Amino acid sequence: MNVAVRFLRPFARCLVPYTFHMRPSNLYSGVLQRYMSSKVPSLSCHNKDSTSPPEQLELDGWKATMKSSIQEDSVSEVSDKDEDSLAATRELIEMWRLLGREVPEHITEEELKTLMECSSKSAKKKYLRYLYVKENIKKARRIKKEMKAEAREEAKRSRLLETTTGEQKQDFMFLRLWDRQMNVAEGWKGIQAMQFGQPLVFDMAYDNYMRPSELQNAVSQLLESEGCNRRNVDPFHIYFCNLKIDSAYHRELARRYEEKWDKLLVTTTEKSPVDLFPKDSIIYLTADSPNVMTTFKHDKIYIIGSFVDKYLQTGTSLAKAKRLDLATECLPLDKYLQWDVGNKNLTLDQMIRILLCLKNTGNWEKALKFVPRRKHTGYLEVSEHSQEVFRKLKKTKTLSSFQKGSLNARTWKK
Amino acid sequence: MTFCLSGFRSFPKLWKSNLCFELGPATSSASVFLRVHCVIGNQQRWFSVKPTTPPNSKVLNLLATKARTHKKGNDNDKQVSSEPHYFAAGAAKKRSQLSGHPQNQGHDLPVRSTLQLPTKPLNSKEWDKLKEDFKGKASFEDVVISQMACNCSSVDTAKSLLAWVAAKNNGIVGYNLLVKYLYLCVFHKQTSEVIDVYEIMKAKYKNLESGGYTLLIRGLIHSDRWREALLLLEDIKKVMVPSKKNYDDCIQGALLHQDVNLAWSLYRELLGLNLIPPLETLKAFFDYDKDIHDDHYSNQLLDILLYLRNNQLYPGESFAHSIKTWFESIPGRQWKGQLTTVQKSGQCSSCGRTMESIHLAPEEYEFLKEKIMKDVIDGGDQYKKTTPEELKRFESFVNSCPPFDIVIDGLNVGKMFPKCHESQNLLAVVSQLAQQNLQLLVLGRKHMLRPNSQWRKEEMEKVQKQAHCFFADNISEDDPFLLYATLNSGNHCKFITKDLFRDHKACLPDARTKRLFFKWQQGHQLAIIKGFQKSKLTFQHILSYDTVVQTTGDSWHIPYDEDLVQRTSCEVPTKWLCLQRKAPC
Repeated sequence: MNVAVRFLRPFARCLVPYTFHMRPSNLYSGVLQRYMSSKVPSLSCHNKDSTSPPEQLELDGWKATMKSSIQEDSVSEVSDKDEDSLAATRELIEMWRLLGREVPEHITEEELKTLMECSSKSAKKKYLRYLYVKENIKKARRIKKEMKAEAREEAKRSRLLETTTGEQKQDFMFLRLWDRQMNVAEGWKGIQAMQFGQPLVFDMAYDNYMRPSELQNAVSQLLESEGCNRRNVDPFHIYFCNLKIDSAYHRELARRYEEKWDKLLVTTTEKSPVDLFPKDSIIYLTADSPNVMTTFKHDKIYIIGSFVDKYLQTGTSLAKAKRLDLATECLPLDKYLQWDVGNKNLTLDQMIRILLCLKNTGNWEKALKFVPRRKHTGYLEVSEHSQEVFRKLKKTKTLSSFQKGSLNARTWKK
Repeated sequence: MTFCLSGFRSFPKLWKSNLCFELGPATSSASVFLRVHCVIGNQQRWFSVKPTTPPNSKVLNLLATKARTHKKGNDNDKQVSSEPHYFAAGAAKKRSQLSGHPQNQGHDLPVRSTLQLPTKPLNSKEWDKLKEDFKGKASFEDVVISQMACNCSSVDTAKSLLAWVAAKNNGIVGYNLLVKYLYLCVFHKQTSEVIDVYEIMKAKYKNLESGGYTLLIRGLIHSDRWREALLLLEDIKKVMVPSKKNYDDCIQGALLHQDVNLAWSLYRELLGLNLIPPLETLKAFFDYDKDIHDDHYSNQLLDILLYLRNNQLYPGESFAHSIKTWFESIPGRQWKGQLTTVQKSGQCSSCGRTMESIHLAPEEYEFLKEKIMKDVIDGGDQYKKTTPEELKRFESFVNSCPPFDIVIDGLNVGKMFPKCHESQNLLAVVSQLAQQNLQLLVLGRKHMLRPNSQWRKEEMEKVQKQAHCFFADNISEDDPFLLYATLNSGNHCKFITKDLFRDHKACLPDARTKRLFFKWQQGHQLAIIKGFQKSKLTFQHILSYDTVVQTTGDSWHIPYDEDLVQRTSCEVPTKWLCLQRKAPC
């Protein structure tokens, strides 16, 4: 076999164009044909059956070139015989990529190790897909960045031309320091909130219910929520309760905030919220709660479980509230929205946006506009809702205290 | 908008012609639908709107309802004639049809192919031309070969495509094209081609991926070089666990080439990896040996049957036939096989033997009880389903009462017949049962005690007089209590609910416990099928026997799945294979 290959190799290069551009009466293809048929005798007899004999040579020619063109690289590959499973996996991924599967182009040692730790085949595929998507996003972003930089250069150059031609003096009242001014102002507001603001607790006791990816998501949502709160007119005083030092949560938060972590205008504590606040003023917000939140109460302390639950461990936070014997409430999503698809659990930043909006306006319609649009088909009729409220009030016999025309529940509750 | 209008103009004609054509013989509205869709799909894209021109749709709706009622009637007949057991194969589907959830008709639109696939090999010029006509995002070669693989084009056509690609590409054909070509070769059983591609792949690539390996294995087992398939299997093992289909192929290959020992060792390896062997593999073992009858081989086949028993697997119809033929072919033993059913009493219709009892062995019972307590009720966090106080309250309640005969899921029973209010339903059931002097336990939630339109006070008081009652908190789950109360009362105790308890079964830790639970459930669950107001309360009968592969030494009883019946995981087959050994004379 080796002999045949050696013999072929010199021809292999010139062979290809020849066989296909000239007619197959060519000498070399005859050689090829013989080579092929000597190798796999059944092949030639099979080919005799097929319908178009004149095209035979064209049909099988590529095989020989494929086979021969390769022998060259196989020499180099002999050297690393002791391929461990890591290298094999790397190659598997490469082959999958050739096949058009969703796998990343480049994979680091670390990611490869994570991949090997995945317990099942589908877990591996999922992880590879995640890496693939991540890589694509990164790539797209880089391209966009480059394009932007180019455009900026262009603009700069043209501006340079302009300024050199017509230079004129302008009068300004302020130096350009907006971002910093904003930060300082937000800092002032934040300090005020630390002193006089309404507490809002994030319960961080769920880190052992979450997988690493969920924890990462949870931390991202926390960052987002904190940012929202900071920009608000009247921020909450945020507590991160049950945040154990050196837990996964703590490490991840410190990593994401970097040096800002120690200057953050929030209270972080290892204590549980029940140790910090009177029990009867605490309300645990959870979608599993049987009680529906009717109004935002300014004298209560709301707790949000910072828990991303992708694997549907229903009732975890309700169980927690039950254990601590706390009041629970859920958002009145069904009352105001025509729910369509999706989980009633909202993300942390959506929750804090809704709460902030309620705190400032007390208007449910406005607050619930932060519920993702894809999850509901629209708002329920307000009149219908108020009728429902009316009916409920009638039932619970508190109608006497209800004053006509004031829909703001806070005013009549008191 | 203008598009739509122009579409409409041409549309009614099409519609009419089709409708006329179909109306004559047709009762099946689905075919009308599909036909119209096809036509539209080919004609104009924006016309995938359902045909809702008013006069036509009426006719169509009429047809549809007619067809549906017709179908329903049929099902009703069947239902009456042979009432399937609650857990019998296909019962869930029937129930869903009866309760008026018509199955979604699959409105699959035909796949529109963007290009005409060639039916015979083309030369390079023709391919060039075809490529010029082709417009699409993906690369031309990819799309063509994928479509070829879908439509199972002939190998030669695909080969001509590869030759053309190679000619353009300095003789290099991409891996994706090769794999799809390989698929076609394997599909058409062109072994020599498979070997060629195998050579190419071996030369060109050091390692392949799982898809390529699988195809190669499947292709190679039919050739003389089938042993190389085993090497490929080894290659797969380096990076991942081979699929059970890979093992299946290899075993089939080994059996094809009379290497029985290898086949058995592969089978053991497959079991060692905790994969469930495909039934085809097992069938192949039975099919293989018709003439050679050494004891060793027979014993191993019997081991397979025991494996089926232990894992509660049921053979398919053809597999059952294979088993039957194998048994009947054993020389000197004179096995006689018969396809049959088992009577309600648990006796085989053919031989009259009684099937194994559905009841759990005492140690199994204890094991299950403990597991239910630990995993379903407690589950690592007592607060999730209940509270510790409530659990204690319930335990002391259960221990203070005599063992119950029947435990009733109050809420489930209450909601059974929506025409009456709920307490009335519950009272009817409870009083009918109480007349039979049974110790009853009604489980419910506290809100049932608060009088309202559904739960009347006086009726609830009557219920409490006739039965022991336990009311859990409104946010607790009542099902775990039901399970525990029933298990605690002993083997004679039954429970009434229509719930299939799939979610609680899912809480159990491993497959064995789940099977035990399912067996216990089959033996102890009463589901009400009648009992509305004046009619006498009737339950689905409880299976007295266990549906599992079983033997008494000189007889085997093997339940099997019929090919045309769909069975959900909470149902068991109804057909049996009865094998008898005639006493050797």
